[in-house]
Amino acid sequence: MAVRILTVEDDERIRAAVRLALEDEGWEVDESPNGEEALAAFRRAPADVVLVDIMLPGMSGFDLCRNLRRFSDVPIVVVTARSDTHDVVAGLEAGADDYLTKPFAPKELSARIRALLRRARPSAGGHALLVFGDLEIVPDEGRVTLAGREISLTKTEFRLLCELAQDPGGVFSREVLLDRVWGYGYFGDGRLVDVHVRRLRTKVEADPAHPRHIVTVRGLGYRLQP
Amino acid sequence: MTSLEPVRSAPRHRLGALRRAALRASARFDPRRVGVRNRILATFLGGSFVLGLVATLTTYGVTRTRLVEQQEQIAVERALLAARRVGSDVADSPSDLVGAVARAGGPPRLLVAPWTTASSGAIVGADDVPAPLMERVHVGRVAAHMVAPFEDGQAVIVGVPLPAAGASYFEFSSLDGVDASLDSLRTSLLFSLAITTAVGAILAMSASRGAVRPLSNAAQAARAIADGRLDTRLEATDDPDLRALTSAFNDMARSLQERVDRDVRFASNVSHELRSPLMTLAASVEVMQSRRHELPERSRAALDLLAGDVDRFRRLVEDLLEISRYDAGAVRLLREPLALTEFVRQAVAASSLPATPVVESGGVASMVIHGDRRRLARVVANLVDNARVHGGGRPSVTVQPADGEPPTHAQIVVTDEGDGLIDGEAEAIFERFSRGGTAGRRANQDGAGLGLALALEHVALHGGRIWASNRRDGVRGARFVVELPIEVRDAAYHGDDR
Repeated sequence: MAVRILTVEDDERIRAAVRLALEDEGWEVDESPNGEEALAAFRRAPADVVLVDIMLPGMSGFDLCRNLRRFSDVPIVVVTARSDTHDVVAGLEAGADDYLTKPFAPKELSARIRALLRRARPSAGGHALLVFGDLEIVPDEGRVTLAGREISLTKTEFRLLCELAQDPGGVFSREVLLDRVWGYGYFGDGRLVDVHVRRLRTKVEADPAHPRHIVTVRGLGYRLQP
Repeated sequence: MTSLEPVRSAPRHRLGALRRAALRASARFDPRRVGVRNRILATFLGGSFVLGLVATLTTYGVTRTRLVEQQEQIAVERALLAARRVGSDVADSPSDLVGAVARAGGPPRLLVAPWTTASSGAIVGADDVPAPLMERVHVGRVAAHMVAPFEDGQAVIVGVPLPAAGASYFEFSSLDGVDASLDSLRTSLLFSLAITTAVGAILAMSASRGAVRPLSNAAQAARAIADGRLDTRLEATDDPDLRALTSAFNDMARSLQERVDRDVRFASNVSHELRSPLMTLAASVEVMQSRRHELPERSRAALDLLAGDVDRFRRLVEDLLEISRYDAGAVRLLREPLALTEFVRQAVAASSLPATPVVESGGVASMVIHGDRRRLARVVANLVDNARVHGGGRPSVTVQPADGEPPTHAQIVVTDEGDGLIDGEAEAIFERFSRGGTAGRRANQDGAGLGLALALEHVALHGGRIWASNRRDGVRGARFVVELPIEVRDAAYHGDDR
């Protein structure tokens, strides 16, 4: 089945050009000019990746992300105007998996989408079941339970957790996590890791302010406590 | 006639020299160069001194006149009394003039008769009486007095005619007492003159400081504005003299700020507006490039030109947006600890000449900088780009500690093998849209002209410096140095604070 991309962008010409470029990659492309139509289109035919411009008329890109997250773990890429503003962090906190800054080259976009699609199919890692106290991970089925209750993670959150679980107690630097989870090289944005760790903690920690499972190692990175 | 010439011309020449010297002196003494503060000080000081001097001189003169007059009056009264007594003595025994004078007590006195001169002792003689007084009294037969030099000081000399004996009586009253009083008066007056002048000096200092303070405040504010703190304003004041300065200054600062803001907003808006068409262009060109092989040759050449310039345009707009953020003061660094050598290696690997060698020199292996990874990588990439375009294309990168023990800064040095820099270029190349060298000497292939200007801004925001010079190792080429502060060991790093 072909990969479906939903692009949400109010500029018709950009939409058309991005569509042409993405179709060249062999993907099917749906378009929506605003958040409301995007939600409806997604409900009608769920996409594999959603591309969301933050600056949308009506429902903002942030709100669209939050709305999508209520019922879907679909990978979301937000398009922001600047990389050093709060927009990036706000977009990630609203549920986005990655971001791009306008103007971006379509090649960058397809690289990001490919990384997300790869992530959407988690690697088995050779373990059928990983247990960390009350936290249990079933990599093959993409399931995580906390104290016996199943919790829902986005695909990126799940992939991040699985990477940390590869070496329980071992320290993972942000560079390594950026490379393994997002497919970025040395110049990936460390905030992607930080915000995703924060999001993950709210789901797998009893007290996210005092994490027991995903621990910060000062100056080095993160590790999953066995 | 000719012999007179030098005699006349010499003084003229000397006069000319004098005038020139005077002109030079007056040129050296330019009151505008003395400074407001010193001028106020000098005016106050001179004023208080002159006033004090006038008061002193007036007091002294008036007191002196009054004292002398008093002394004269006393002397005249006493002399008249003595003369009457001498006159009656002479009437009693006309032959004993000398005895009569000797008997009368008091100050030195003198009796001048047609046949003799008698005095009390030998202290005074007829010579001591000034001629005009002698004339008036002895010849004119009128009582008179005058102040004249006598012995070491001055004296009031009173002359009274004695008609009965055909003689004249003179009495000398010394003014020494008056002189002593005047001496002590002079001392105290000079003392008070010194005090008033000193008080004047103190007042002058505080007044001049007070007068100059608003000026130095204004100067400070102007400097702050020049340094880019455009929201600097002078404090409002109730002083009507200063209000004009304050409000004019603040109006100027406000309109300057508005204007700069407008320019910054304009540049930023233009760049933002350019991004949407740019996105469309970039995506469309990419679609066409994936079908490049289907195109006829001329279309292919045109597409290559288009693609190259769309890419260049995109980078230019990115740089413009970034630099307008600097102008708006809206840049926020995303700092994190970076292992210096590893960072530089990665930055070079991501640049347009990834194979450029990176040499580590002099113990930088463990150095860590606290920087914005992507912005500093842009600095390195821009320097490598610059070397590629302008510097012969074979740069090398060295990472080394800066001078100082222990070093507080590290240097990233990019050297190339180009033509080097010409005079005055070392600073000009960091200006926006500077075109790297004189036209024709260096081809401007794809330099948007903002790379080095942005590098300068990035480095400055990190508290570092960037400069360019010619190579110092004898090889032709330019040398760019980025100097960044290194992080102190064991600095706390918060993984979660962003």
